[in-house]
Amino acid sequence: MTDAALKSQSLRPYLLCVRSSLTAALSLSNFASQTSERHNVPEVEAASSPEVLLNPLTVSRNENEKVLIEPSINSVRISIKIKQADEIENILVHKFTRFLTQRAEAFFILRRKPVKGYDISFLITNTHTEEMLKHKLVDFIIQFMEEVDKEISEMKLFLNARARFVAEAFLSPFD
Amino acid sequence: MASPEVHHLFHHPIADHSFSADRKALAVARDNNVELYTRSGSKFTLQDELKGHDKTVTSVDIAPTTGRIVTCSQDRNAYVWEPSPTGWKPTLVLLRINRAATFVRWSPSEAKFAVGSGARVIAVCYFESENDWWVSKHLKKPIRSTITALAWHPNSVLLAAGSTDAHARVFSSFIKGVDERPEGSVWGERLPFGTVCGEYLNNEAGWVHGVAFSPSGNALAFTAHDSSVTVVYPSGPDEPPRAVVSLSLQVLPFLSLIWNGESEIIAAGYDCEAYRLQGNEQGWQIVGSMESKGRPGLGEMREESALNMFRQMDLKGKSKDDTQLKTVHQNTIATIRAYDVAGGNVKKFSSSGVDGRVVIWST
Amino acid sequence: MATANWRTINIDLLDPDSPSNFSLTSLLPTLAPVSLPEVQNLSSQIRQLLRGGDTEGALRGALENAPYGGDAAAKDLHLQTVSEILQSIKQSEMSPLLTRIYTSPGGPETLDVLMKYLYKGMSAPPSAPGSAGGSRSLTPQATGFSQIGGRVGGGEGGGQAMSVLLSWHEKLVEVAGMGCIVRVMTDRRTV
Repeated sequence: MTDAALKSQSLRPYLLCVRSSLTAALSLSNFASQTSERHNVPEVEAASSPEVLLNPLTVSRNENEKVLIEPSINSVRISIKIKQADEIENILVHKFTRFLTQRAEAFFILRRKPVKGYDISFLITNTHTEEMLKHKLVDFIIQFMEEVDKEISEMKLFLNARARFVAEAFLSPFD
Repeated sequence: MASPEVHHLFHHPIADHSFSADRKALAVARDNNVELYTRSGSKFTLQDELKGHDKTVTSVDIAPTTGRIVTCSQDRNAYVWEPSPTGWKPTLVLLRINRAATFVRWSPSEAKFAVGSGARVIAVCYFESENDWWVSKHLKKPIRSTITALAWHPNSVLLAAGSTDAHARVFSSFIKGVDERPEGSVWGERLPFGTVCGEYLNNEAGWVHGVAFSPSGNALAFTAHDSSVTVVYPSGPDEPPRAVVSLSLQVLPFLSLIWNGESEIIAAGYDCEAYRLQGNEQGWQIVGSMESKGRPGLGEMREESALNMFRQMDLKGKSKDDTQLKTVHQNTIATIRAYDVAGGNVKKFSSSGVDGRVVIWST
Repeated sequence: MATANWRTINIDLLDPDSPSNFSLTSLLPTLAPVSLPEVQNLSSQIRQLLRGGDTEGALRGALENAPYGGDAAAKDLHLQTVSEILQSIKQSEMSPLLTRIYTSPGGPETLDVLMKYLYKGMSAPPSAPGSAGGSRSLTPQATGFSQIGGRVGGGEGGGQAMSVLLSWHEKLVEVAGMGCIVRVMTDRRTV
């Protein structure tokens, strides 16, 4: 079996698994803080009441691609580890996620800082599931995961092509 | 089965709703206010707003006979609203809690109401005529987390409470001078204030979202976040219950449930539709959804013209529009309540949810 | 004491009544402690069944005797046993097998346990780099029971083992529904 065939074959169950896990985790309710009065904070971030946090779930396709879902009563934190096969992809992913997180307020659910060990994190609270359609939020995350891989490999191809062109142009006078 | 009556009030979550006894008025909790709607023909129109809370209103209840409205909110307060010539007049209730108030319900006698809170107490409130205000007594032990739901026993003394500490409990809220001494029941004989008549935990220990006594008061059902419904049949005071039936479901958790007779439960929650469950002490099972799938209007909507399909593909790059859910409610159902009860059976019930709809269903 | 930075002390933890000190043990039923030798014994019994071709019996046995009360080593060993069973079942047999278990008495609970193992399998920490990347810790000894374990480098970084778990997950959700995933999140009894 070729590597490419294996990949496309395992991408579908991977995304399917993320989809069902997310749908289950996004069962959120409006829950006021038990520790600070008149406050309503995402419990998964505050972590001040252990009973309202649930067991985190990990969905992984291999060691380099996985999703961590940390559910709680009023918020869910989703962290994605994007595939990075080599150093160029490493740099590209870093730049790409940095670009996004710096514009976090325009993305509503994006967390400004990824959870340790992951490349990008989202924080979905009960306000998001109230204002937006829950199944569309799930769709968004899935689509993001599909697109980001494509985006990174496209950028890599483009980068390589450009590097080749630059090298050729630079070395042509010495012909 | 008649098709459900859908009232899309606004695009905002409805935390709780309550109909008046004549079903002409409807109170819904929206943000920091409670909106009062009155029925005109087949529609509900906005009549009045109860403004007073300064945080999200979490619960609202209209007393059937006195017409008093009680509301509570995350700002730690509860108000009792009474009609006066100049409009609705609020009276602050002395709750003495320092965290959000999460749930409120009048007792069937309407002399008391109970307020659940995030301060790990339930405030049982009653009117003190010599001081002319509503005061409260606290049920504290052994609650260890936020109260999420309350339900009254028909005798107005026993109170069931669900909490995020995964326990459903039955307390006595007997207050001397307000309540008549209740007759002994399966839950206990002598019931001084604060007696814990039962404490139940299910296998997977999910947060309890909804509790309800059966019409006779001799069974208690609760739904939890582990997507389960548990029905408890107590046998007598200080004895283990006769039967505890727990049902694990394939669907997402339920948030609210009501009994229809002694052998049927209607529950709804994160799956955006209501389900019917039937059973007895031997066991319970899910019978089916309350939605009639071949509802008129739905078919027309699904059947799309070729033009529409190509337009979708052109504009959005996909062949079908899947934004709309197939259910009547387009988001989580937060509360269901009995709407029309005749002879212990629920003829109609109402549901409200995060999508801003109030729907009246016939069973 | 002068070095103690009092600004960073979480005072909530010092108050026994604070919600931060909620004891999660109150959510757990009492679990019988399970020792490592017991789990080893169980896993060799299950291997026996597996060798005899009774995959359903092996899976049931493994799931119904999940060592909730065991320590980390016991739990890891049991995870290996379950993974081995899962990998030895063909893709076409998954759905009928799951439906059979679901409709049997106590079936939904058994499948909840299976779901726990699927997520645990996916969250298992990556093995030490170098040695046979594909098969990693899931097949510790070269036992030869598992058909996939022997194939070295079947996928990048455990990809092969994961894809087995992912297809089980897909089939399991079809049979046991979303409720099953919700129960994995809420249940404090971990595998």
